[in-house]
Amino acid sequence: MLIQHLGPIASSLFSLLAIASLLLSFVMLGSRWLKNYLYAFATESWVIAALSATIGYYGNYPELYLIAILTLLFRGLLLPYLIWRIIRRLEVDREIHEILQPSSSLVIGALFVMFALAVSYRVATAYHLELTVAVLALTVMLSMKLIGFLMLAVRHEAISQILGLLVLENGIFLGSQILVPGMPLLIELVILFDLLIIVACFGVLVGYLLTHVGTTSTLDLKRLVG
Amino acid sequence: MHESPPATHQQNACSFVRSASPAVAAGRTAPMSARDVLLQIGQVLTVLLLAPLIQGIIVQFEERVQRAQGPGIFQPYRDLWKLFHKQIVVPQTASWLFWAAPVVAFTCMLTVPILIPVLTDFPLPLSDMGDILGGGLILTLGSFLIVLAGLDTSSAYGGIGSSRAVMVAILAEPTLILVFVGITLLAKAMLPFVVNHLLVSNWAAYWSPAHLFLVAAFFILLLVETDRMPIHSSTHIEVYMIEEGRILEYSGPLLALLKWASAMKQFILYTIFCNVLILPWGLSVKGTALGALGAAAGLVIKFTLVACLVVVVETSQSRLRFYRYQEPLAASFLLAVLSIIGTQLS
Repeated sequence: MLIQHLGPIASSLFSLLAIASLLLSFVMLGSRWLKNYLYAFATESWVIAALSATIGYYGNYPELYLIAILTLLFRGLLLPYLIWRIIRRLEVDREIHEILQPSSSLVIGALFVMFALAVSYRVATAYHLELTVAVLALTVMLSMKLIGFLMLAVRHEAISQILGLLVLENGIFLGSQILVPGMPLLIELVILFDLLIIVACFGVLVGYLLTHVGTTSTLDLKRLVG
Repeated sequence: MHESPPATHQQNACSFVRSASPAVAAGRTAPMSARDVLLQIGQVLTVLLLAPLIQGIIVQFEERVQRAQGPGIFQPYRDLWKLFHKQIVVPQTASWLFWAAPVVAFTCMLTVPILIPVLTDFPLPLSDMGDILGGGLILTLGSFLIVLAGLDTSSAYGGIGSSRAVMVAILAEPTLILVFVGITLLAKAMLPFVVNHLLVSNWAAYWSPAHLFLVAAFFILLLVETDRMPIHSSTHIEVYMIEEGRILEYSGPLLALLKWASAMKQFILYTIFCNVLILPWGLSVKGTALGALGAAAGLVIKFTLVACLVVVVETSQSRLRFYRYQEPLAASFLLAVLSIIGTQLS
């Protein structure tokens, strides 16, 4: 396994990138404007692409360079561009009725990170991964997933929800990059295309909602239609 | 991330405590070294005399950034001089608290510099009176009494100022405690001197995410506690006042004492920010007179750097709505929690 024989510089670089992406998901959690979500998501994807390239360099996995470039292109440029197009069509700039204020959701996110740390200590001891990088990667992965779930739960604009879903996916991708870097290239490609299809479906769904319901907020979607 | 640093932190702290404790013990049994006593008095005097200068530098820089002339960096000294030569007017409703609060607040601010590294990077005879939490307690005691004094005169603005100040304190205090806990976990010791030594000697600890998050969290606290922009307004209108609302009834020398105390509080917080967290270099190691003077000069330079940062924030930010005060503080809380998690991982 790569993480078991890493130099100190490599491991601190990994931790820095992992923590930077965690911080960016907190930026997404704490902001009110949809544009800011989008910028934070794009930056997070670039950080993860940099992480892939770093792992490829230190672990001698040439295919990870390809994955880094694909991540940069798909997650860092194409998906944000598609979502930006949806936002421009929507004329909704921000969450109007917040269920949870940004400050409260930041504090809840902090609690989630603590929970993730506790869980990943358990997991790491169970699988004999007592290395700092492994625990950190597990913590960041779990807390990004939890933050993604939180964003899905407390935000009700369609755009916020798709971005929550993408953060969740980013967390899994980041964790898998550090923990099992030799994941087959094909699976990564499949995931990337899956994401593309998700966003495309969301675009169609948003268009449908706009024409038939007149809103994209899930708060207004209470009536069952047969 | 760091395999070796925990061990070195521990060793560092241990060797530091070991090397410090004989000095402390010697200081207790043998007559205290006169030099150390002088240095300790020097620390208090530095805070006392340079505090208005920092306030003046920040105000002057802000004026220059806004393309105004500015009153000059020595204006706070002139203000204090003027206030000390005025007569005291006391409201009829005021009790003894009104008189006691400025004196106690001023004394608290004179006590804290004994506990923290202002000029020297080694503990002086009385530095073991309290640790980081002790310093925080005394700092808060001063503002607590001013809150009481604001309520004491039963004027409307005093009450509003006090209630607002308490609300900000309720939001800021948990983060402050968490930052202190983070510092403690980082250096495995509760003395600010140990943190200073660790950060000077260990680059890995200085650039570790735990430390960087602590710096960011404390910077937000610094802005909040020293009446700066995202929460406090820069225009002096009663409706916006938080800290100043409490002292509207004061006049003459009492007001001067309060203003001086708040300048000293700002100086002390800047000292903790610079000497313990972000710029731990440039303190007197041997404790010679020249070294102490150099450290004082270095302090002014460091504070000017931090002041530039504060001026940038003050110029670029607008004041937050009342119901959004918790946002920067929640961010600060989050950063402190992340830093504690970072210390658990390293």
